[in-house]
Amino acid sequence: METRRSILASFLPDLASLTKRGLAGWITLIGLGLVTSIVLMTFLAPWISPHDPSAINVGPQFCPPNGQFPLGTNHLGQDMLSRVLSGGSIMLQVAVLSVFICLMIGVPIGLLASYAGGKLDKLCSLMMDSIYAFPALVLAIAIAAMLGTGVVNMALAIAVVYVPSYFRIVRSQVLTIKELLYTEAARAAGARGRTILLRYILPNVVPSVVVVASVNFADAILTAAGLTFVGLGVAKDIPDWGWDLTDGRALLPSGAWWVITFPGIMIVLLALGFTLIGEGLSELLNPRLEQ
Amino acid sequence: MGGEGNFMKIFRSRKAVTTTEGVIIVALILAIILSASTLFYVSTVTSQLAGLSTSISKLSDSLSKLSSDLATVSKTVEEVRKIVGAPPPTPTPTPPPPPKLKDTLIVGTTDSVELTLDPAQAYDWFGWHILQQIGGRLVEIRPGSKAGPEDYVPDLATDWSASADLKTWTFNLRKGVKFEDGREFTAEDVKYSIDRAIALIPSIPEGAPAGLGYDAVIDSVEVSGTYQVKFHLKIPFAPFLGFMYCRSSAIVEKKYAPIMQINYTEGDARASTPVGFLGPYKLTRWVRIAGKDNEMRLEANPNYWNVTGGYPKTKRIIYKFYADATALRLAIEAGDVDIAFRHITAADVLDLTKNPNLKVWWGTGAFIQYMIFQEKIKPFDDPRVRRALAAALNRPAVCKTVFLGTMEPLYSIIPKGMMGHTEAFKELGDANYALTRSLLAELGYNENNKLPVELWYESSGHYPMSADQALMYKDSFEKSGVITVTVKGIDWAGYRKNRNEEIMPVYVYGWYPDYVDPDDYAFLYWAAWLHHNYVNPEIVALYDKARAITDPTERARLYAEIDKIAVRDSPVIPIFQGVAWGVTKPDVEGLVLDITTDMRYWLVYAEIPA
Amino acid sequence: MGLRSYIITRVLLTIPMIMLLLSIVFLVVRVLPGDPVLLHFEKRATPEAMEAMRHQLGLDKPLPVQYFEYLAGLLQGDLGKSMQDFSSVGQQIFSAFPATLELTIYSMAVAVILGILLGVRSSRLYNSLQDHSIRAFGVIMYAIPIFFLGMIFQIIFGIGLRWFPTGLRLHPAIEPPYGLNLGDLRLSTGLYTIDSLLEGNVFKLAQALRYLFLPSLTLGLVLCGVFIRLTRSNMLETLRLDFVTAARARGLKERAVVYGYALRNAFLPILTMMGLQFAVLLGGAILTETTFSWPGLGRYMVDRINFRDYTAIQGAVVFFGLLVALVSLVVDILYAYLDPRIRL
Repeated sequence: METRRSILASFLPDLASLTKRGLAGWITLIGLGLVTSIVLMTFLAPWISPHDPSAINVGPQFCPPNGQFPLGTNHLGQDMLSRVLSGGSIMLQVAVLSVFICLMIGVPIGLLASYAGGKLDKLCSLMMDSIYAFPALVLAIAIAAMLGTGVVNMALAIAVVYVPSYFRIVRSQVLTIKELLYTEAARAAGARGRTILLRYILPNVVPSVVVVASVNFADAILTAAGLTFVGLGVAKDIPDWGWDLTDGRALLPSGAWWVITFPGIMIVLLALGFTLIGEGLSELLNPRLEQ
Repeated sequence: MGGEGNFMKIFRSRKAVTTTEGVIIVALILAIILSASTLFYVSTVTSQLAGLSTSISKLSDSLSKLSSDLATVSKTVEEVRKIVGAPPPTPTPTPPPPPKLKDTLIVGTTDSVELTLDPAQAYDWFGWHILQQIGGRLVEIRPGSKAGPEDYVPDLATDWSASADLKTWTFNLRKGVKFEDGREFTAEDVKYSIDRAIALIPSIPEGAPAGLGYDAVIDSVEVSGTYQVKFHLKIPFAPFLGFMYCRSSAIVEKKYAPIMQINYTEGDARASTPVGFLGPYKLTRWVRIAGKDNEMRLEANPNYWNVTGGYPKTKRIIYKFYADATALRLAIEAGDVDIAFRHITAADVLDLTKNPNLKVWWGTGAFIQYMIFQEKIKPFDDPRVRRALAAALNRPAVCKTVFLGTMEPLYSIIPKGMMGHTEAFKELGDANYALTRSLLAELGYNENNKLPVELWYESSGHYPMSADQALMYKDSFEKSGVITVTVKGIDWAGYRKNRNEEIMPVYVYGWYPDYVDPDDYAFLYWAAWLHHNYVNPEIVALYDKARAITDPTERARLYAEIDKIAVRDSPVIPIFQGVAWGVTKPDVEGLVLDITTDMRYWLVYAEIPA
Repeated sequence: MGLRSYIITRVLLTIPMIMLLLSIVFLVVRVLPGDPVLLHFEKRATPEAMEAMRHQLGLDKPLPVQYFEYLAGLLQGDLGKSMQDFSSVGQQIFSAFPATLELTIYSMAVAVILGILLGVRSSRLYNSLQDHSIRAFGVIMYAIPIFFLGMIFQIIFGIGLRWFPTGLRLHPAIEPPYGLNLGDLRLSTGLYTIDSLLEGNVFKLAQALRYLFLPSLTLGLVLCGVFIRLTRSNMLETLRLDFVTAARARGLKERAVVYGYALRNAFLPILTMMGLQFAVLLGGAILTETTFSWPGLGRYMVDRINFRDYTAIQGAVVFFGLLVALVSLVVDILYAYLDPRIRL
């Protein structure tokens, strides 16, 4: 019991204590801040947007940022501020869904296969390795071609490529912990495999999984943007930063820089936020031997 | 397999790599990469000895040729000496030399040949475009004209006539036109080409001859003289000249055109098309990489019958293919190409008109877009619902917002500039919400019970700005207050599939002219391949009547009747008509953008400044 | 186990891995909904014609038969026929691959060189503002969408300054380099820079590099962050070691110490990371190729989707997979050769 609490304590950092944990703590905090504010902004968008983000011709077309339209309007006269506020919803959905799928599939398989060992372990490792290094965008394109577009399909494509990462991390942790003394002790005391898995191994696995998950989030966002760019995104009547990026790219040579810049910055900030969380957490959990 | 743990160990490893090992490793990697890619490209070595002996014989041939050349040269030198010795003749004033023209122009485009350059198959704009530059047909259309019956001019045929019943058409062919190998063009070649096109219809059901209905119109082709050919038709067909103008009627060269589809052959442009090089250009290079065009080259054809007219004005045209409209805009702006044509977006072309270093060309268009209702899905089987939606459309808004004024609202399926065009759909109006509401009220739809509409658009760029168009239609439908719209997009292949399976309640399609005649447009109201299940024998009867007579007034009257019925039934709603544009460097001249939507590069040139 | 047995085991293990990948791809392509036959028909889709097309594409045979034909074809190097124009998919992929390979190599070079230079600087100025900015730079660069960055470069360098072209591999009027010509034998890699070297044509080499510059800069910048981090952490450890202090005490110049001794230590991890990043680079190549009209495999894949060309997509996915498997095999073997502990 003692050991368990201390492990959990090291995992669930008190937010306030983060600031005391040095640079890594600050990085995690900044990342958390970015992500939370963007998610909050997307949630609150229906109430705080000055205009309907899908409404056409609320203002003159190609209007540069000014008093009435702080972020300007695009080629259809849609208000960019409203679009920026609500445009993250699709990407966040894709990211959350893909992480969810990975957690539901990758973690249990990793736990079971590596704990059981033997042939099951070898087989799963083989399968995971064959998918592991595959570029996500390529697979996403192939899947989108087959299944069509949409939030679920995009999430599926990204999840398929990421499951092996979760599997590997979980497996390496499990292999280490399996041999630790207290697990032996628990087994000697008669605890069943499932209890050992859930009580001793799982809590230790969680921190590393969170790190992988945050990188997964960041990648999912960039891949979703890439898919929309090649034309495999959602239908255009839903406000989406990916669409704004694609349209904005076509308008940039004509000088309408505001259409691509603001959504682009938001995507960068969101991806950055998740990356920073991952970086910070991984340093907090496995501090490097820097002096 | 090494897991995370080992990875960490490596990071902390203290084992250094010696320089030699490093060099070997790097060299090994480079060698692997090089050999892997080279393996794919090394061609087989033919017998070395045979090669060597042929080289030796070639060498001896060259040596003997060299010695005879030397003899000729010494003779010429003697003659020159004699002339030079004579007193100089009095100089006569020479006329100023004609302006020198650039001999190569580079065209940038986002198009690509869809499948083949076989006239029996090709049905895409770009395939037809290339076939027009290299192939010959019996007739051409005067550039810049309205493409009316009086605008057909001789190409490989010098004159023609039709029988009174419009079922027999006689063409007299131009004499002395030669194929590449020197063989003369005769009526046999015309017969072979058309017979081949018709023979291939069963195996190429999606080709141009099938789509145009060659087998439904042409009964037989008769060679009535070495330079005369007679077409016997199954029905009286007034627009037959249009058929002969289509690229599917291009003359093929028999030895390259067996009765089967001719596909692209890597590295051999001549073998990649069955068409005889009877046009202003020859196709000298066609490179496709990974199924898409990468480069095409046209070189002036010395056998072209109009070479004496100075055509083609530019000896070589090189096509370069860009990924999308934005990339093409950047290319023309950076000066990487001389001409940018298809496609530049409306926003870009309007922006480029402000650029003093570029020239923007505008022209008439004949490209149209129209909205289709699936009558198998309720309530779109009720003409009142269809008329209500037609009334709710706001064409001027679409043209202004999405296309920035470069497209024009269209109120008849026959575009402006063509005989038979009317403003029939103005009767239903634009954003005529009063009419929409009253029609839908008859069926019980109102603010509290809105009509749900599922609107589909094509998402892979086959039509310009299709996603934005869909948003506009949604906007205008919903502004009526009694309609709610869901927008759905799918790529071209899926779009066609859905069309064939008849599952899209409302969808948008486009059309380019095959030949410039209302006959090629009017049938769109009930075209079977649109799969919208509109059947009306009355309207078809009018159509069949109109194609069987030549009197333009009477024909126009019949097409106006067709339009009236279309407004009443609203099976298909014309939305807008496209204008064509191109962007070039300022020294380029001669672009003609007329109602044929053709681009005739043999008229285009750039002067070299003196 | 010895090196030889490790290599053999590793290679043997790759084979079932690849088999699994192929089978997964085959199943995914065949079993999921979507009908490639319909793509061929615009107006006149008679049931007979459609059946004929289905037969021609080989889709009417039972699934296990299709599977074995697919595997048999793969063993002979035949990736099937494109469903759009019936030309060989293998031929199409091989014609597009060199362009992507060239882009990948140069982008990797940019990423590694930038990564090493910035990583070394960062480690030497440990915990300073420069150190933090460089690390931030690496992280931020990865978060920028590739086509966004590419577009900015196109506008600044292509249109604004006119230093570099905005797309394609070579100027339209220039003939692509044809490599080494030995009579009947032609040695050409398809990589324009190498081919122009083989040809001895410096002008074409310069042009090829000029056209390569912006795309590889874009892709390389986005991916340099990983190498910055790797170099930095490696250098930080190594620079503290005894033999380095000894070298410094001997009076060697700082630069010699850094690049001579310390960097050698980072060589192996960097090499390994290059192998791992190869797949990421391939994924990034798709967006880069679309932005710069680069005629490579990435654009090929995207184009094929519009045609629902399942054979082509399947072929491309298998090709990518094989490529990635090959690279990781090579990397693992190199690993094992250079660090005996791994084989255990």
